[in-house]
Amino acid sequence: MPTGLFHTRYEDDEKIFHTLWVRIWMWSFVLFLFLVFPFVASPLSGFFGFSVQHMANMIGIFIIGAHGLNLLTGFTGQISLGHGAFMGVGAFTSAILFMKAGWPFWLSLPAAGFVSAGVGMIFGVPSLRLRGLYLAIATMAAQFIIDYAMRNWTSLTGGSAGFNVDRPSIFGFALDTDLRYYYLILVLAIVSTLFLKNLLRTKTGRAMVAIRDRYLSAEIMGVNLFKYRLLAFGISSFYVGVAGGLFAHYNLVVSDEHFTMWLSIQYLAMVIIGGLGHVLGGIFGTIFMVLLPELLRIPTEILSNIYPNIFAIFGTLRELVFGLVIILFLIFEPDGLAARWHTIRAYWKLWPFSY
Amino acid sequence: MKRTRIFQWAWVVLVVTGLVFWGCAKKEAEPLKIGGIFDITGATSAVGKDYAQAAKDAERYINENGGINGRKIQLIANDYAYKIPEAVSLYKQYKDVDKVFVIQGWGTGDTNALKQQVNNDKIVYISASYDSNLNDPTKTPYNFYVGTSYSDAIRLAMKFVKDSFKEMFPDAGDRAPRVVFIYPDHPYGKAPIPAGKAMAKELGIEVGPDEIVGLRAIDATSQLLHMKEFDPDWAWVGGTTPSTSVVVKDSAKLNLRTKIISNVWGFDENLIKLAGEAGNERIYGMAPFAFWGEDVPGMKAAMEAAKKADPEGIHTVRYIQGWTAMMVMWEGLKRADKAGQLNGPGLKAALESLDNFSTGGLTAPISYTPTDHRPNTALRIFKMSDNKLVPVMSVSIEREDRFLGW
Repeated sequence: MPTGLFHTRYEDDEKIFHTLWVRIWMWSFVLFLFLVFPFVASPLSGFFGFSVQHMANMIGIFIIGAHGLNLLTGFTGQISLGHGAFMGVGAFTSAILFMKAGWPFWLSLPAAGFVSAGVGMIFGVPSLRLRGLYLAIATMAAQFIIDYAMRNWTSLTGGSAGFNVDRPSIFGFALDTDLRYYYLILVLAIVSTLFLKNLLRTKTGRAMVAIRDRYLSAEIMGVNLFKYRLLAFGISSFYVGVAGGLFAHYNLVVSDEHFTMWLSIQYLAMVIIGGLGHVLGGIFGTIFMVLLPELLRIPTEILSNIYPNIFAIFGTLRELVFGLVIILFLIFEPDGLAARWHTIRAYWKLWPFSY
Repeated sequence: MKRTRIFQWAWVVLVVTGLVFWGCAKKEAEPLKIGGIFDITGATSAVGKDYAQAAKDAERYINENGGINGRKIQLIANDYAYKIPEAVSLYKQYKDVDKVFVIQGWGTGDTNALKQQVNNDKIVYISASYDSNLNDPTKTPYNFYVGTSYSDAIRLAMKFVKDSFKEMFPDAGDRAPRVVFIYPDHPYGKAPIPAGKAMAKELGIEVGPDEIVGLRAIDATSQLLHMKEFDPDWAWVGGTTPSTSVVVKDSAKLNLRTKIISNVWGFDENLIKLAGEAGNERIYGMAPFAFWGEDVPGMKAAMEAAKKADPEGIHTVRYIQGWTAMMVMWEGLKRADKAGQLNGPGLKAALESLDNFSTGGLTAPISYTPTDHRPNTALRIFKMSDNKLVPVMSVSIEREDRFLGW
């Protein structure tokens, strides 16, 4: 009986689930999401006062996107302020192919990913030469260019009004309710998480991490900087593109308004708050960023019922508190929620004999 | 470990306050819930705040005056910051959690984004967007609004331009009037432009190149300089009061002779403050609603309700707009309840039974029919003169079928 985890082979070290217990926990969590959550979502909605099912769907969609940015920023060290726009490219691609070209959804959604990946790689080219703030500005240019295209290419995108999108069906199974759509999102979110986790254990993933840690050393070791940076941009944009496609068909409307600079920054906030360079970070950060505004709505709703005459102030207050909470989080949790999760886990692992 | 402590306590406090709030909220008896999607912090908040406040005050007024035949209402008012995704998310909450069948909504973009869903879910959606896209019941049977539609307003504006041309521009001789459309690149701004251009063409008005001035613009000089090349007699401005006042001030600065005529959301009492002297004899506005404090029978209740909520409060025509939307909904709900059909289709039918319903002079009488959701087609044109808003004339347009739905 070993008294701890002692890896004797590299394969063990690289395992996703180190112990049987972790594996059991993960499986039961997945089963919970599949079998139990949909049934508790509705009573939970009554408790919280917002649609829990809807929030879960939004979280699922944005987790996919946040994984994408995390791969790029957290694991490859390339900053991007254009991911909101890349998500828009995905959303419009899927919506246009589905609504106007009559493609089936199971083709239009991957197409959204690929078109997004293509666009992302084009705007990723400057990453060969630019780093840090300079790259941020270059990708911000992508945001503005794509924003402009979405807004003014009226024949294709419907201009600033956007256009309505129908709920799709996959192989005859209509995804017409939030619950049905939830399963699609859940499957894709799990697949994308597993893909990211596994990608990091491959040669490609290690090359990306090497570039992040010290690109000069990586280059000396024979890592092709351009290739991997571009690849990171591609995969990352693929992720947000798929998220965009899901988002479009879920919200039943696409317009450029969804995919502004603000969304790009929100994505960055998600991975930073969640924890850069942790797969869990994308998940935690997304949950935090999507749920917090909704949770803050509860007190504003109640306060505005108690004090109806100054209710307009509470709406403003909510935005203020949202900003404040983010600042506090960055101060007290600079390593992100994922790091906090690890500390909590370590604490309970040794409980009550922690020191 | 001290930081962790603080953090843990923060969590505890958060959870406890959350539970306390939740407990407070659950105590009251079951009133009839109404969804509210308002803009308090977004791009149109300058006009949205007062509208939302009115809706909230009207809730109290309705409850103090008998409610829905005795049953109270509860307006769940939320801010969506003029963002479509937020509106969609609020809509889901109202539909799935609060199970409402009527929503007081706001903007053109979000109302249009939701029109398909409200139709499927049979939820009556009363918007503050008077977009003509939403008044054809064959397409949007569950959308209602209480103000003269944007397209009818722009048609009336074109007619006014044409009819008053000789009188206002005596030097112009026999040439046709020239008009330019200035609007934000936003569903709200763009909605009535095709109607305006079609009407201008019909009336023989020359139309210059469009100019885009955003809702949050603080400068319109370059657009106006470009516009000057065409030298229009009139410029239609389809923004909100702050952006309209920017256009007004900048055209005064550039000494343009062009008169400006604004859509309903760009013309209210705040214009006097924001545009100042520049606005006098320059800015005209479409006014489907009575201004704050006007001497009409319906004004008294609104003013008293506002005073009760906040004795110091300063309000504008936006308050009347929100108030009217609530009053019309109230009438519909009462009728629906009497018919024993207090649900979405019942409210729709009840609203469609409104025939020349008087809002006490706050608007022209309102009628909806199952084939026509245009509330009315009459409004007044105001102008700013001597730092006051003064009426110019009352105008109305025939309820023609060819103008339905665009």
